[in-house]
Amino acid sequence: MRLTAIPGEWIDRSTEVEFQFEGNTYRGYRGDTISSALWCAEVRLLGRSFKYHRPRGILSLANHDINALMQAGQRLNVRADVEPLAAQQQLTSVNTFGGLQADSGRWLNHLAKFLPVGFYYKAFHTKALFPLWERLFRRLTGLGKLDFDTPHLRTPKDYDFCDVLVIGAGASGLNAALAAADAGAEVVIVDENARAGGSAAYQRGGKADSYTQINALLNSVVKHPRIRLFTSTVAAAYYADHWIPLVDEQKMTKMRAGSVIVATGVFEQPAVFHNNDLPGVMLASAAQRLIYRYAVQPMQSAVVLTANADGYRAALDLAAQGVNVAALIDMRSDHQQVELAAAVQACGINIFHAHCILEAEATADGNGVAAAIICPFDADGNADAASTMRIPCDGIVMSVGWAPTANLLYQAGTRMRFADDVQQFVPENLPEGVFACGRVNGVYDTVHKLMDGARAGRDAAAYLGYGSAGNAVTIVETESPSHAWPVVAHPKGKNFIDFDEDLQLKDFENAVQEGFDNIELLKRYTTVGMGPSQGKHSNMNALRILARLTGKSPGQVGTTTARPFFHPVPLSHLAGRGFSPERLTPLHHQHVQLGAVFMPAGVWQRPEYYAQAGLTRTECIRGEVACVRNQVGIIDVGTLGKIEIYGPDAVEFLERVYISRYANLKVGMTRYAIMCDESGVIIDDGVVARLGEQHFYFTTTTSGAAPIYRELTRLNTLWQLDCGLVNLTGAMAAVNLAGPKAAEVLAPLTELDLSLAEFPYMGIREASVAGIPARLMRVGFVGELGYEIHVPAAYADALWQALWQSGQPQGLRAFGVEAQRLLRLEKGHIIIGQDTDGLTTPLQANLNWALKMDKAFFIGQRSLQIVAQQALQQKLTGFVLDAGYNGTVPQECHLIIEQGDIAGRITSIAWSPSLQRHIGLAFVRPDLAVENGAIAIRLSDGSMVEARIHPTPFYDPKNIRQQHPAQELAA
Amino acid sequence: MNPLRKSPLHDVIARQQPEWGMVNAMPTALQFDQGDSQRSATLGIADLSCLWRHGLKGPRSVEWLETQGIAVPAVNCWAPLADGGLIARLGKTEFMLEDGLMGNTARHIQSLLADRPDGVYPVLRQDAAFALTGAALQQLLRQTCSFNFKTLDAASRPLVLTTMVGVPVTILPQATSDGMLYRLWCDGTYGEYLWRTLLDIALELDGGAIGLNHLILEGKSQ
Repeated sequence: MRLTAIPGEWIDRSTEVEFQFEGNTYRGYRGDTISSALWCAEVRLLGRSFKYHRPRGILSLANHDINALMQAGQRLNVRADVEPLAAQQQLTSVNTFGGLQADSGRWLNHLAKFLPVGFYYKAFHTKALFPLWERLFRRLTGLGKLDFDTPHLRTPKDYDFCDVLVIGAGASGLNAALAAADAGAEVVIVDENARAGGSAAYQRGGKADSYTQINALLNSVVKHPRIRLFTSTVAAAYYADHWIPLVDEQKMTKMRAGSVIVATGVFEQPAVFHNNDLPGVMLASAAQRLIYRYAVQPMQSAVVLTANADGYRAALDLAAQGVNVAALIDMRSDHQQVELAAAVQACGINIFHAHCILEAEATADGNGVAAAIICPFDADGNADAASTMRIPCDGIVMSVGWAPTANLLYQAGTRMRFADDVQQFVPENLPEGVFACGRVNGVYDTVHKLMDGARAGRDAAAYLGYGSAGNAVTIVETESPSHAWPVVAHPKGKNFIDFDEDLQLKDFENAVQEGFDNIELLKRYTTVGMGPSQGKHSNMNALRILARLTGKSPGQVGTTTARPFFHPVPLSHLAGRGFSPERLTPLHHQHVQLGAVFMPAGVWQRPEYYAQAGLTRTECIRGEVACVRNQVGIIDVGTLGKIEIYGPDAVEFLERVYISRYANLKVGMTRYAIMCDESGVIIDDGVVARLGEQHFYFTTTTSGAAPIYRELTRLNTLWQLDCGLVNLTGAMAAVNLAGPKAAEVLAPLTELDLSLAEFPYMGIREASVAGIPARLMRVGFVGELGYEIHVPAAYADALWQALWQSGQPQGLRAFGVEAQRLLRLEKGHIIIGQDTDGLTTPLQANLNWALKMDKAFFIGQRSLQIVAQQALQQKLTGFVLDAGYNGTVPQECHLIIEQGDIAGRITSIAWSPSLQRHIGLAFVRPDLAVENGAIAIRLSDGSMVEARIHPTPFYDPKNIRQQHPAQELAA
Repeated sequence: MNPLRKSPLHDVIARQQPEWGMVNAMPTALQFDQGDSQRSATLGIADLSCLWRHGLKGPRSVEWLETQGIAVPAVNCWAPLADGGLIARLGKTEFMLEDGLMGNTARHIQSLLADRPDGVYPVLRQDAAFALTGAALQQLLRQTCSFNFKTLDAASRPLVLTTMVGVPVTILPQATSDGMLYRLWCDGTYGEYLWRTLLDIALELDGGAIGLNHLILEGKSQ
């Protein structure tokens, strides 16, 4: 039933909203939630429980009514208790078979005795039955139906900044924000609710005082120039350095705060009694929210179960709105709220002290409350089930205690202690820059909350240098707001602790009996707190039960680890707009035009091969290989790391970081370069070119470009040599023009003398190519006459076009990474990371020729001296399959087996068009690395293939082809 | 058209078919459409890669620059050059000079560095260079960068070396008569990715690409 207008209600009575639930049409107002609108329409059955499919209604109306999850089109698991009503929404309850009313799954309720605690673990214990249980569980579990056609929402993510972030806009939070802002800090205050004000706006005790007071406070906050207030915004986690993800409907904001005030309040906790989950049994705060936010009468006749002053206030609120409060059941024998008790009695409400509700009696259809069965309850928490009294009602309101919303405090590293006086965990030691106030701090009285908030606000501002910290005040509550044992045993069970997972009191007793007697084990075995509400209404009672069963105090039992996010965050927010940096060479567009098929190489996109109409991938690659071997090819090698080093100590620097010698490298020449780490393991390779006595230009691998430059910069800082490094990786483009006709393509574009005498193999020259300033290196990675041409990136496109045009008469083709891999394999050139691994030394990689151990120092030298004393375990060696072999071809990483033991593994293998057989590189035991010796390779199916050790290079073993420019041969 | 120089953003910009002009031998988008002015006021992104720039570093770079008559800004600050353009100090001994449309200081410095002055090393700069304008600029920055730009005082000519959508960038704010303009440089190989990403967000914020005409040729910023 809708109540008459109430000051502060959230609904807009001028705008009706029509919607459908389970096929029926209902109407609410704008500002209603789905649950409030349905409750107003006298719908009590809002969903089914997860395990037993029991009927469930409103419990908290505070964003953890997990049994009222609904599906709205492609959106699943919509939280009906907080989801604003939307016009024409078509809603269905999740987790039903055949609809909410006729749910065939409800029969599981009668099978509860066969589904004991730890049922999953026990079911899967028998291996043979595993598939059966798996199929069954997959069918029965899961909430909502996922539509795989749901569009990918590009949800934005924001960064934001403030001095002080206040989480929670209740009385203490608002006052904290004001105090911090008054001190000069820029403040952001967030609240997950649609409107700020906190519990003071709905825990009114039948009067308007608290609402008026909080409204005035809120007005001051809104008007303050240094405060920004965000509502409907959840502070979902705490990360180091006060980094808080703020989640609203549209996006996630990563808030970086100078200091943080946690004023998150508390979660009301349910009492435990038989049938405490029936629709109509709800937390007092839920009933009060229904009344004051949505003007909905929670029930017509209520029994209030309480153990604190809040329950008395709830009874007064109900009475003030015309609800017949049939009785107030106080679990305590006495209390100190004399005035409240008098006010309740003045309303004609009977108070039963030292009583409890033994059970809620269900209506005939099982979907509501018919009566509360109460009985005496002693100080030790024992119910006298022999002396019961039946009180007819259609609703039960519970207010027996609270649990702090301390998740963010835990995540921040706060040490908490259990305070017996308020029966909850409170902060004992807060991390630097983190402050707490209000009920999460164990402060409940309204005046005290305001004081505590102001103190926290001043402290948080002072932490940042605004104003000075407030004087510490000792605040003591007159009585505990939480009962130490709000749990009533019942022979029929169904007294629920965890409403997400349908866990009953006996489940905990059985788990502890089975040995799961610490809080972390108990959590995993029972799954308490592992449902969608993450234990917000169950962890505290579970902890109390474990404490009692093990004879410990709640403080000794402790809490489970709190991890981000403490509240579910939509995947659309997490996976919305992602940033995946991608690098493209300046020739990318040329590759696209040539039909390149790209492959990722770290953050780069490189042409794997160039697709040609009517040809397979293999045919395209082999065509590119043939072109390089017979005519001329061009490949974009701009992804190589390119570094320049200047200065008097440049050569000394290179001597230290590479294993070869560069002091004797002549100006105008290049030399292969291997870099090791401190343990002597190869980490990178490239070419070092000497452009002047104090000037070198060198390359690194594509993947090594960034980390190697970073490491070299670190070393330069460490060594304090007189030299400077310049990273030109992105600034210089590079192509490799390779093939017997390479010089014929290049010659028309440059005045550089390309003769062998003037520009020998391994030489470097600076010259103009097509009018572009260029560096040309005579290298032979692919085993043909080759010119690696480096130019400023802006000129890359012009260079490519000039070479392309010049090369057409010679049949120039672009070749990709796959062709290059094959070409270099034929030459026996290694690829770092493919033909080496995280343990490969130059000795194992057959690179002894490059290793100059007589140098004064280089990185890895000392380790290599030690390694050299020991026998080699493996050696990189060439191998070939028989020329006529036509069986399954071994693959990289296939093992070499010798007398049943692993004797090596393949690192590279491919079909060689030049040799007309499969060739490869492999690590093998040195005693097997004998030319023409047989090795056995084990395929994935276990069969063996014989191969023979072959010297490298496989192709052009005397390196003649890369030495002679074509023009000289022609002459 | 077979240009000698090409912007790192050329190909991605070409898909929008702007009106091109040649600036420093580089085809440059002068105008995208009639909406450039409006986008410029809301949230405009322009390619300024055509401006000539060059860098230098080395232990004697500060004194060498002073010898050339260039006022050296403080670390992580920038200063205008006498003939237009700017000098940005990227570290204790590292600088980037960028000419405006008319000046040639950067080009002159580049030629002097060819003589390899002692303790001064040339740094080839082939950046993708952006200009960001408009009222929604801070929204764009907040979605793409974790740095709090609101803490910067543009009058003190600060520059920031940070990352934006995962790309290392150099950013500096400039106060113009039309409001704040942010200059941004990144390695050219990241340029297309950064352009696409910024443009996606800018479009959502009712902004978009703008041509050089709306930045420099109308005399609004340089």
